[in-house]
Amino acid sequence: MLGMLFSILIFPGLLFVSVFGLSVEYIDRKIYARLQNRLGPPWFQPVADLIKLLAKEDIIPKAANQNMFKLAPLFALTAVVTAFLYIPLWNKESLFSFNGDIIVVLYLLTIPTLAFFIGGWYSTSLYARIGSVRSLTQLFAYEVPLFMGILSSALLAGSWSLKEIINFYAGHNWFWFFNLLGFAITLVSFLGKLEKTPFDIPEAETEVVAGSFTEYSGRLFAFLRLTLDVEMVVGSALLAAVFLPFGFSLPPVFAFVLFMIKILFIVSLISLLRTIVARLRMDQMIDFCWKFMVPLAFLQILINLIIKGIILR
Amino acid sequence: MSLVKKIVTWARIKSPWILHFNTGACNACDIEIIAALTPRYDLERFGIILKGTPRHADILVCSGPVTSQIKDRLIRIYEQMPEPKFVVAVGTCACSGGVFDGCYNVESGINAVIPVSAYIPGCPASPKAIIDGVVKLLTSLEEKEEAIKR
Ligand code: SF4
Repeated sequence: MLGMLFSILIFPGLLFVSVFGLSVEYIDRKIYARLQNRLGPPWFQPVADLIKLLAKEDIIPKAANQNMFKLAPLFALTAVVTAFLYIPLWNKESLFSFNGDIIVVLYLLTIPTLAFFIGGWYSTSLYARIGSVRSLTQLFAYEVPLFMGILSSALLAGSWSLKEIINFYAGHNWFWFFNLLGFAITLVSFLGKLEKTPFDIPEAETEVVAGSFTEYSGRLFAFLRLTLDVEMVVGSALLAAVFLPFGFSLPPVFAFVLFMIKILFIVSLISLLRTIVARLRMDQMIDFCWKFMVPLAFLQILINLIIKGIILR
Repeated sequence: MSLVKKIVTWARIKSPWILHFNTGACNACDIEIIAALTPRYDLERFGIILKGTPRHADILVCSGPVTSQIKDRLIRIYEQMPEPKFVVAVGTCACSGGVFDGCYNVESGINAVIPVSAYIPGCPASPKAIIDGVVKLLTSLEEKEEAIKR
């Protein structure tokens, strides 16, 4: 019981993942700054931002629905932190692994988007409402390629549990090379989930102020920011576990370090992508997702089916 | 308690988010503010980020004399910001009304309407002066905290 509480609240739960999320935010912002030929923020910047926001006044608009407005950020943060518990960090099995956990992680990653929608919608500000409707519209564009990309790898392994997938790729070395196309698709659609630059339409500062977050201030906004950071960690960790599934048979410490390096690698890829592209319009994004990413995801599934039928027979 | 307070003050000084608001400037001051935010000066190394909404901002950066049109909006934006909040007046107009002082449609400087914490003169104020002004505001906060402790 105590061990379980420890793993939920401290390691690898809330505390660890928050600290890791803040460091990931720093790395992301630093890479972004360096690529723009700037110095970038100092290492404590995300921590300072978080503490400052926690100590600021909480304003809840009079017209907003009090409960929904307050609950949405907590709900989002809880969902992403829970999702992290299902991801194997230092051996092939996560703490609470069961058959189908990959689906659970994917669904838990969808909850923040819905929470952003609910929070933005019930804050009754015009900008927040436009932003939240945009984030839902966007959900329908990137969610399908994201799921197809991740599940294509699971298809090759023939299982819906992360443990089995990792076991499969441990038994079939270098098979994960076949999934590189799926990795690319998932990475790009994941940018949509994180609302990062090519797909940051919901919180486009130049158009809708700050999207669903417009009315949030103080502590609630701190939770929302932390949610985005943790979401980045969880998503990168999921990608690392599914698409780079090697090195889990090392001794736990080395496997853990290797896994962290993999996460940081994916985070740097995300920062790189968000630096070099500009924001799309909503219709362009939906076109892009449905006309290019979904067919490519189908191609990946086809490749995996052929491999399964011919090589693995 | 005092340690917590110390950490919070440190965080406030290290992470000032600003909101830029044109209260009737001739646009030159605004261009200089934007120039101060470009990668050339890289304000993010001080933790300064430009925010779009008053709810996220700590510092309201105003430029220009307050016209009677903008007065109500300025007060409203100021009230929308969460505590603790500070106002920086950029440019001679924002400090005192400048060349527009005494016009029938102008209420002299920003401080005629809302409390101002720092004045940055210049017509227009150069980006370096703006950065210097914001940094001086932050250091004065630090000193104020010190004084309160003593
Ligand atoms: S101080 Fe000068 S540059 Fe700035 S708004 Fe006034 S007239 Fe324009």
